[in-house]
Amino acid sequence: MLSRTAQTLYQLGFLIERTENIARILGVNSRMSVEQQVFSDLDVWSPVLEITHNREHFETNFGEVNEGNVVRLLLIDSHNPYSVRACVLQAREIARSVRELISEELWLHINLFYHDMEKEFASNQLHDWMAFIEKVHIFANAFHGLAHNTMVRGDAWQFMRLGYALERGRMTQRILQIKYHLLLPATADIGSPLDLHQWQALLRSVSGYEAYRRLYQARIEPSRVIKLLMLNPSFPRSLHYCIHEVFQALRAIGMSNEEQFTVYRFTEVFLDDLRGGAASEEIIAMGIQKYLSEEVSERCGKLDTMIRAGFFDSVTVNLTDDQAHLLRVQIPQQQQMRTHFSSRGASHETF
Amino acid sequence: MFNQTDAAPYDEVFDAKGDIRPLYETVCAHMSSNQVAGIEHMQQSADLSLLNQGVTFTVYSDARGTEKIFPYDLMPRLIDAQEWQRIEAGIIQRVTAMNLFLEDIYHGQKILRDRRIPAAQILGSNLYCREMSGLNPVGGIHVQISGIDLIRNQTGEYMVLEDNLRCPSGVSYVVENRMVSSRIMPELLNRHRVRPVSQYPQMLFEALASFSPLDKPCVALLTPGIYNSAYFEHAFLASQMGAELVEGRDMMVHDDILYMKSTRGLKRIDVLYLRLDTEFIDPLVFRPDSMLGVPGLMHAYRSGNVTLANAPGNGVADDKALYAYTPDIIRYYLGEDPILPIVPTYLGAKPDDLAYMIDHIEKLVIKPTDASGGYGLLVGSHATKEEISEFRRRLKAEPTHYIAQPIQQLSTHPSFLDQDGQKGFYARHIDLRPFAVCGADGAVKVLSGGLTRVALRQGSLVVNSSQGGGSKDTWVLYPDGGQQHA
Repeated sequence: MLSRTAQTLYQLGFLIERTENIARILGVNSRMSVEQQVFSDLDVWSPVLEITHNREHFETNFGEVNEGNVVRLLLIDSHNPYSVRACVLQAREIARSVRELISEELWLHINLFYHDMEKEFASNQLHDWMAFIEKVHIFANAFHGLAHNTMVRGDAWQFMRLGYALERGRMTQRILQIKYHLLLPATADIGSPLDLHQWQALLRSVSGYEAYRRLYQARIEPSRVIKLLMLNPSFPRSLHYCIHEVFQALRAIGMSNEEQFTVYRFTEVFLDDLRGGAASEEIIAMGIQKYLSEEVSERCGKLDTMIRAGFFDSVTVNLTDDQAHLLRVQIPQQQQMRTHFSSRGASHETF
Repeated sequence: MFNQTDAAPYDEVFDAKGDIRPLYETVCAHMSSNQVAGIEHMQQSADLSLLNQGVTFTVYSDARGTEKIFPYDLMPRLIDAQEWQRIEAGIIQRVTAMNLFLEDIYHGQKILRDRRIPAAQILGSNLYCREMSGLNPVGGIHVQISGIDLIRNQTGEYMVLEDNLRCPSGVSYVVENRMVSSRIMPELLNRHRVRPVSQYPQMLFEALASFSPLDKPCVALLTPGIYNSAYFEHAFLASQMGAELVEGRDMMVHDDILYMKSTRGLKRIDVLYLRLDTEFIDPLVFRPDSMLGVPGLMHAYRSGNVTLANAPGNGVADDKALYAYTPDIIRYYLGEDPILPIVPTYLGAKPDDLAYMIDHIEKLVIKPTDASGGYGLLVGSHATKEEISEFRRRLKAEPTHYIAQPIQQLSTHPSFLDQDGQKGFYARHIDLRPFAVCGADGAVKVLSGGLTRVALRQGSLVVNSSQGGGSKDTWVLYPDGGQQHA
């Protein structure tokens, strides 16, 4: 597969996952804000801005943190790369550039949703945003379903899987981290209705509430929530599960140069830690906050960088020189961003 | 329901007496029985289906480069078997002659030495590609893919309007239009014996693959990228052929071999279908500022390690000024008379012609020799006084830059549209672009169908999509009658 198209598919998987996660976080938070009167000191919207890297952009463009503004920022604002609209626009644009590699059904699905969304946002207002969020959910999940049922399990599929699995794992990590960073209750609050309420919301934002209840039945305990979201091998949004997906995808893609082998090894070690209990020891030793922000976040970031280096940004070529020495040459992919103008004028297609 | 006030002397559906031609009886009956409401409904579902599929093109003049669907007119254009036979033979003859011509002018230049065409016309053209001289493409084939534009004049005779031997586009719409027709009017389609068009990608692939000695050559399609107006078509063809869709930055040349950069290292490309103008394909040889091509591509081509389709340098043969000589070219190489006539053409380069052009500008279409897509031309009968004097000035300043043709009364065909708030079928001008492919053995195959373009604006003669044109599904019928009587 072409390096460029592999990267596009990786990006597509990533964008669909991000779209869903934004909608997910918004939905859960609004449910929390309904109960805000009861817990009047609860600022439910600030953490959302943190999770979605939006604090700065928000403050310069919107001012007051309130539901209406946050929703506009995260759904409609196409200048914000962390908005549903921006993600869908970009996903559709790049899906078009690989439409010969994804299934027809998948392309139709993305394009249809794009047109629906633009119609809905035509006035720059959203009257029933909860209903829209529901649509985003259905869109993203139908995307996975369609991809699952219509795409050949070739490189195209694997690169897309790589993109969404890694992003899903990172999002779970970030959500947990924010809870600790911003919502960390004073010791006295632990176990209070407010604290429980927050943990419940957190579980809901990763579709983990039912899973938790089924696994642990009892009341919500932070250590168990962490276990579920980080270490559980069968919960589809846990870090463990996501890294396992990444690993599977890498294995299916195979290795043909040194860097690709390094990525594979790196993932294997990461997975072993999550599987074998090294991670839970680390969590205890480092403290969850440090573990999340340093260990997991760094490892995921590095994984992303390594995947890009090994598969997209360069090609290693074996050449034989005059003395019959084997040379390994790195050929960088040209990363030129071209404007509409340079490429569109270049073919006077007669039509 | 049918409004023929704008009909040309030759209308495809109605004869001079205003009666429906036998060929169209079934179609007209079907349309009438559905009434305006039914047809409107069909039209809406067709448009929606095209939009959802993303069968769209980008309009350059629009600042945002907005996407539009290429309007689909649901009344099909029918061509009977006998007419088609002549069209097909005419196109095969023309493409065959053009291949011989291009091979000649880039080698021995016999036709110039025999003084059948003025040497200045060829060698002085900025479309003559010196880098191609002496280069031996496989089979001597330069034109693998062509889309020759035909029109029907006032007497109903098919004539060649333009040869497109570089990047003819539109074939994806031929295939897509048929898919839409079969969805919205399956009964009507089934009542005619229509020749299929969906095999085009396979025809194209086989023709391209024949240029490599390998059993399973690697065929790739070079696109300028997603912002190109024809990107949909590039992706469509690549996908349907199972070929790789590449951009310039995906490839490199090493030791005169063309490779694409894949996740598993480099992969050799054997045949490259170019959807990019010659001047952009290799910055080492052509425009040095082009980021869209591949440095070293021409060297790889010259070494015989890759086939480029269409060959660079074909522009000299579909130059609008050369068009006047094409009947002579056919006679010279094939010893036959052209099957399809051309429209009489005046050359700005010839003093007598130029004088005629300046005096009779109102009766002529003036075309720049180096533009396409309907840009920069003047239709004398529809031009304002200022435009006419402006063109007179340009003609005098740069006579060789222009040609002129008598305004052709393109045939008309009823098209479903809204005119002054009244929906119905109005007569609109049409043309026809059949597509042909040519393999390494020189055998030309014509797709039995074609793109019928419609000038949707009232009175307009310009059918280009960029100028408000639309298209029709074109049904070429098998012999033994069009309609199956149920």
